[in-house]
Amino acid sequence: MKGNVIKYERDNIDTDVIIPGQYLKVHDYAELATHAMEGLDPNFHSKVKEGDFILAGRNFGCGSSREHAPIALSHSGIKAVLALSFARIFYRNAVDGAFLLPIEIDEDAYHNILEGDQIEIDIKSNEIRNISKNQTYEMKPFSEIISKIIDAGGLFNYKPD
Amino acid sequence: MGKTLFEKIWDLHVVVERENEPSLLYVDRHLVHEVTSPQAFDGLRMNHRKVRRTDLTIATMDHNVPTNDRSLPILDQTSAIQIQTLERNCKEFGIQLFDINSPNQGIVHVIGPQLGITLPGSTIVCGDSHTSTHGAFGALAFGIGTSDVEHVLASQTIWMEKPKSFEIKINGKRKNPHAVTAKDIILSIIKNIGTDGGTGTVIEYSGQGIEDLSMEQRMTVCNMSIEAGARAGLIAPDEKTFDYLRNRKYTPKNYDELVSYWRDNLYTDSDAKTDKKFEMSIDNIAPQVSWGTNPGMTCDVTDLIPFPDDYSKGDQNQKKAAEKSLEYMGLKPGISITDIKIDRVFIGSCTNARLEDLLEASKAIKGKKVADGVRAMVVPGSQMVKKQAEEIGLDKIFINANFEWREAGCSMCLGMNPDILSPGERCASTSNRNFEGRQGTGGRTHLVSPVMAAAAAIEGHFVDVRELDLD
Repeated sequence: MKGNVIKYERDNIDTDVIIPGQYLKVHDYAELATHAMEGLDPNFHSKVKEGDFILAGRNFGCGSSREHAPIALSHSGIKAVLALSFARIFYRNAVDGAFLLPIEIDEDAYHNILEGDQIEIDIKSNEIRNISKNQTYEMKPFSEIISKIIDAGGLFNYKPD
Repeated sequence: MGKTLFEKIWDLHVVVERENEPSLLYVDRHLVHEVTSPQAFDGLRMNHRKVRRTDLTIATMDHNVPTNDRSLPILDQTSAIQIQTLERNCKEFGIQLFDINSPNQGIVHVIGPQLGITLPGSTIVCGDSHTSTHGAFGALAFGIGTSDVEHVLASQTIWMEKPKSFEIKINGKRKNPHAVTAKDIILSIIKNIGTDGGTGTVIEYSGQGIEDLSMEQRMTVCNMSIEAGARAGLIAPDEKTFDYLRNRKYTPKNYDELVSYWRDNLYTDSDAKTDKKFEMSIDNIAPQVSWGTNPGMTCDVTDLIPFPDDYSKGDQNQKKAAEKSLEYMGLKPGISITDIKIDRVFIGSCTNARLEDLLEASKAIKGKKVADGVRAMVVPGSQMVKKQAEEIGLDKIFINANFEWREAGCSMCLGMNPDILSPGERCASTSNRNFEGRQGTGGRTHLVSPVMAAAAAIEGHFVDVRELDLD
């Protein structure tokens, strides 16, 4: 998985800035996507490209249980969010619906990967390669079960052994 | 070795348990509302599935319902469609619905306990993060997303990795319980442990400070567990719990039998091990006011707005966050909280819109008027709360003071219906989240208790309610 990074050097990016409450009435995912991150970055929709990644600080996705949050990001083209840590409901929603990969990174990756860097994420070797800077960082491996759900393409496709 | 209350409830509900896999848990109650359910019902239809236990599933509409005159049509078309969709889905799948005209309509976390649907020792889920509220009754209750809503509708179960246990012990006694409230306790806790202090855990609150709280006050504490990142908040049931639930509309027939089982089983054993602990005394806590854009950015009403350097204690991300928050909030470090002037007051939400909240708030306004230039509204948590409040004359106290007295719903807590802030407006709010834009684009939220919000409405700025006569 290869893409460019949109970086927000912030902790606690909450679900209300990822998709403000007024849009929870929107049923059409493409339209929902046009409002992704609107509460934090009104330019997000114009700059995001298919296959991009978001990089952020601690506790990404805190707040509401709205699945609209990972859906809006996913339908904007975001394939993964890399963050120092995640709020659990967001993490679960992202994986359950196979909307995007929530990837936990360390301080090394957080500080060295910059806005616009092209990176490649390898979830088999748990490595993040920064193509722009020729650096490699480790990512926290997914737990066994999360890996299985991701491989299956979401909770509804996952069948326990 | 003994078990925690959380482990006991967990063990009672495990359907399937395998090594290195999450457990499949049975769900005793599923609460459904209009915003996080439409896609779940679509999924059921697409896969030709039914709702497995319609008798354990209850729906209401709360998030986007207007709070003005209910006889008027809903002007916002998208809201009207979402409400009609829930009506249609409930009819098609055979789910009991408390619709917009029902006397039982209200915020899902307010009506659950009021109707006796919330029971000790049970598992409760809802597509809403504040489901943690029901933990006040010793239920294991947590918020889920729409995919999980569909899974629960179809199977009455949920896959879950077992969270860690977190014991928060609240010692001491509040000196002035009318002025220093449950809201101040939970805001203090979050200020101390941080917005991710409870991530991946189920918090069990204990100690004198919690035992002394009424059921409605305990709900306020458990409600905001999610603001500390916890999956759920939990309080062991006691006689107050059992009395509260007795003789409610849906209280089970064999209630006394259940109570004796709960009394014998639902507590944390003295030799149980918890993964994490935090202890705090409330002997001297002050009313709390949030100054920033997350619930951890909170201080005493007697404090000054912090300087980002002091707040962050050397953490660069925290410093930047504080700077950005202050900029968004239009505040300068070093000014006194009581000098902050407000434009709006919102008394409502699943955190603080129960009868006791409204009663406590009313004590700060008797015979007074809302300050010039301030618009203040009370949105009762349910139609039942509204009716009970009217029976004891609270509506008149609020209306005479120039508060708006509205119909039940989530309202300005999350800005989905017409009750929103305009850009730049500053609100004293009894809700749970002060995130940017939460109450309307550009709106500025200060989280406070009901009595703090009411007093701010009268004075036009924050005041230390410990100085008021609230008896």
